[in-house]
Amino acid sequence: MLISHHLRRPARLGRLTGTALACTALLATGCTVYGGSNGTGTGEFPNRPVEFTVPTEPGGSSDLVTRALARSTEEHLDGTTIVVNKPGANGKVAGNSVFRSEPDGHRVAVMPQSLFSIGPLVVDDPEPIELSDMTFIKGLTIEDYVLVVPAGSPHRDLDDLLGQDRLNYGTAGAGTGGQLAQALLFGFTDVPAADIPFDGGGPTMTAVLGGQVDVAALHPAEVMPQIEAGGLRPIIVFSDERLDALPDTPTAVESGYDVVVDQRRFLAAPAGLPDKLVDRLGAAADKATVDNEYETILENNYIRQWNAESAEVESQLSESRQRYATLSRELGVDLGGQS
Amino acid sequence: MDFLTPVLEGFGVALQPMNLLFCLIGVTLGMFVGVLPGLGPAASIAILLPITYNFDETAAIIMLAGIFYGALYGGTITAVLLRLPGEASSAVTALDGYAMARDGRAGTALGIAAISSFIGGTVAIIALTFIAPVVAGFALDFGPPEFTALALLGILMVATLGSGSAVKSVVAAALGLLLASIGQDPLIGTGRLNFGSDQLFDGIPFVIVAMGLFGVGEILYNMESVRNARAKIPDVGRVYPSRADLRQSRGAMSRGSVVGFVLGVLPGGGAVMSSMVSYAVEKRVSRKPRLFGKGAIQGVAGPETASNAAASSSMIPLLSLGIPANASMAVIFGALLLQGITPGPLLVEDRPDLFWGVVNSMYLGNILLVLMCLPLIGLFVRIVRIPVGVLAPVALIITLVGVYTVRMSVFDMFLMIALGVAGYLMKKTGFEPAPLVLAFILGGILESAFRRSMRTFDGQLTGFLGEPIAATLLAATVGLIVFTILKALRAKRAKHQPTNETTPV
Repeated sequence: MLISHHLRRPARLGRLTGTALACTALLATGCTVYGGSNGTGTGEFPNRPVEFTVPTEPGGSSDLVTRALARSTEEHLDGTTIVVNKPGANGKVAGNSVFRSEPDGHRVAVMPQSLFSIGPLVVDDPEPIELSDMTFIKGLTIEDYVLVVPAGSPHRDLDDLLGQDRLNYGTAGAGTGGQLAQALLFGFTDVPAADIPFDGGGPTMTAVLGGQVDVAALHPAEVMPQIEAGGLRPIIVFSDERLDALPDTPTAVESGYDVVVDQRRFLAAPAGLPDKLVDRLGAAADKATVDNEYETILENNYIRQWNAESAEVESQLSESRQRYATLSRELGVDLGGQS
Repeated sequence: MDFLTPVLEGFGVALQPMNLLFCLIGVTLGMFVGVLPGLGPAASIAILLPITYNFDETAAIIMLAGIFYGALYGGTITAVLLRLPGEASSAVTALDGYAMARDGRAGTALGIAAISSFIGGTVAIIALTFIAPVVAGFALDFGPPEFTALALLGILMVATLGSGSAVKSVVAAALGLLLASIGQDPLIGTGRLNFGSDQLFDGIPFVIVAMGLFGVGEILYNMESVRNARAKIPDVGRVYPSRADLRQSRGAMSRGSVVGFVLGVLPGGGAVMSSMVSYAVEKRVSRKPRLFGKGAIQGVAGPETASNAAASSSMIPLLSLGIPANASMAVIFGALLLQGITPGPLLVEDRPDLFWGVVNSMYLGNILLVLMCLPLIGLFVRIVRIPVGVLAPVALIITLVGVYTVRMSVFDMFLMIALGVAGYLMKKTGFEPAPLVLAFILGGILESAFRRSMRTFDGQLTGFLGEPIAATLLAATVGLIVFTILKALRAKRAKHQPTNETTPV
């Protein structure tokens, strides 16, 4: 662990290999190692690399954010960190793996709000991850949604769009914020609109650029380059206030529809993490999120900082879950309903 | 010729010693990654991403792109020698490549594959240089209806792929479709056939199906021959393809280049389909279709050309539209973002040095790869001579480790073993795994594309006729069916009534 301070970034691969070897060694010697470290008492954390689990494939925005976070956290934690990708089941695979482990601070996950607030509206999961399975450490990011039409579209603004006889709207998949936001918006106005879920943001972009769908809701990072190049036109944003990047685009609320939807990510550990470690990890993450590199990645991707403490994360999750459920019920929106 | 100036300046960028070095590192790493089954290019690029933080941006992307197309060269090696396709695109190469290796023509197969890869890659880059903006628009014309028609055409072609019993091929293909339906419903998001397991919630990754059925199945089957003491070690034969081999493959390579370039541009499945479509095309145009699956050299040359052409052209949507066409491109997209560059329609204008530097480095990378591959063939073919008792356990371990790296999941290792046993039993009972594996890929594409289309058309099947490209592809599909039936009928009639009556069709 001392070595890592000297050979920081370029040595990452070597360190990964080293970590893997170390883990193998740990496994091989089993309890002895753990017993020994526990026996020596306080201040031992971290006594092995802290593992940050990302619930997505490598390369996406949450992977980039987590990697930057893990790297800067390292400096403030006085130990090493590694990033592990465990994609699957909208984040549930990663959650189950981390939140069922020992709450000793060595395993944390960067989880999406959508799994808890939108997921239950889509899938009837008999064994969901409950909020009580997690210890919240810190809120990290907020990603917004922009409603866009292709540049060649005849629909100039929202009223124009809502006056259509029929609409096809593209989403990045079932259970995404973009799907919920559009379902609610079109639910408010009774426009017959067909939900066309694609396999992620890339294919959705292709569909809206090519005019395969009339409209789509995507993250600013996905649409901004196309908006700047004149390929797409923003109609509204689903944030509570206008976005810095799109000062001329009104919010849904301004336009008279009370739809505020975003994607948030937060750092969480297994339930029962001692307060001392929550503070320790929280403080390290706090410092890491003002790191230059971390901020640059957020800025380049039009992601907002979500500086929320542990309790605030929990209330945001349960509040958004309730609000989305109530709205969907009132508007008769059923995300899993069409075939 | 003004537009050529940035292109030529791009060569200047690509030829800078530093960039050249990173290109070499990239393709070498890529080749090794390709040789290791399971560890795909997307995962390796992701692992190496953090190292590139401190690199110059052009050098970083040149290296990562090198890993991507270098892996295609490497993936062929295990597909041919061990029938272990490490990547989706080399699954088809395993069919005839492995048959050739069993015949003692492993060197020829590998040589032709390397040359085909080089030609496919190079042709596609030349095309990319001149018509990238035009074809980028073409990618946008391909929506759900077009993909439905394309996948239907593909499945029809798969039905003709098997070289054994037609009924058994269809049964295997149906099983493939069934396996493809495991996992999250692509539109509604609910779990299907996952028996409540989160591990199966996202379906079975293609690599596991291909490596289990082809690779592990074959390893198990070979182990039988050790016990029976009739282990026949095939000769290595001549290492390089002969002039005649090259002449036979010429047509396949040129057709493969076109197929690969066109399909590679399509985001979401185009590149995977390219090698399959090329194989089907070769089998159709061949005068000896019976040889396919038994070591036809065109069955290696065509798909290898196509998959490499597709790899190069799949850079087009990323660099000119900012849309990643496959998993590897998605990671390279992430690498660009890390460098503070947003890939998108303005990239060519804003950063011509980066765009053309990367594109032109691919010319050099392909040359480096073919220069590296050809001398190494002599070394690789010796693997065939290793006794099964030694090779089988080693190959099995490498495969298991490879599968684990895909999703870091132990469950996947057991899943692959189960599929391996299934592959072994299929081989024992005369079922071919090829139609199953190919139907598995196409089934997923067909289902989601068709259901998206139906939603777009408000449930009206006639909607397909309103889309020119889709309608044309569907007409081709119907034409192919009618043609096949007529041909079969004519053959039957000719058999029964050899003399009189000319067929009225």
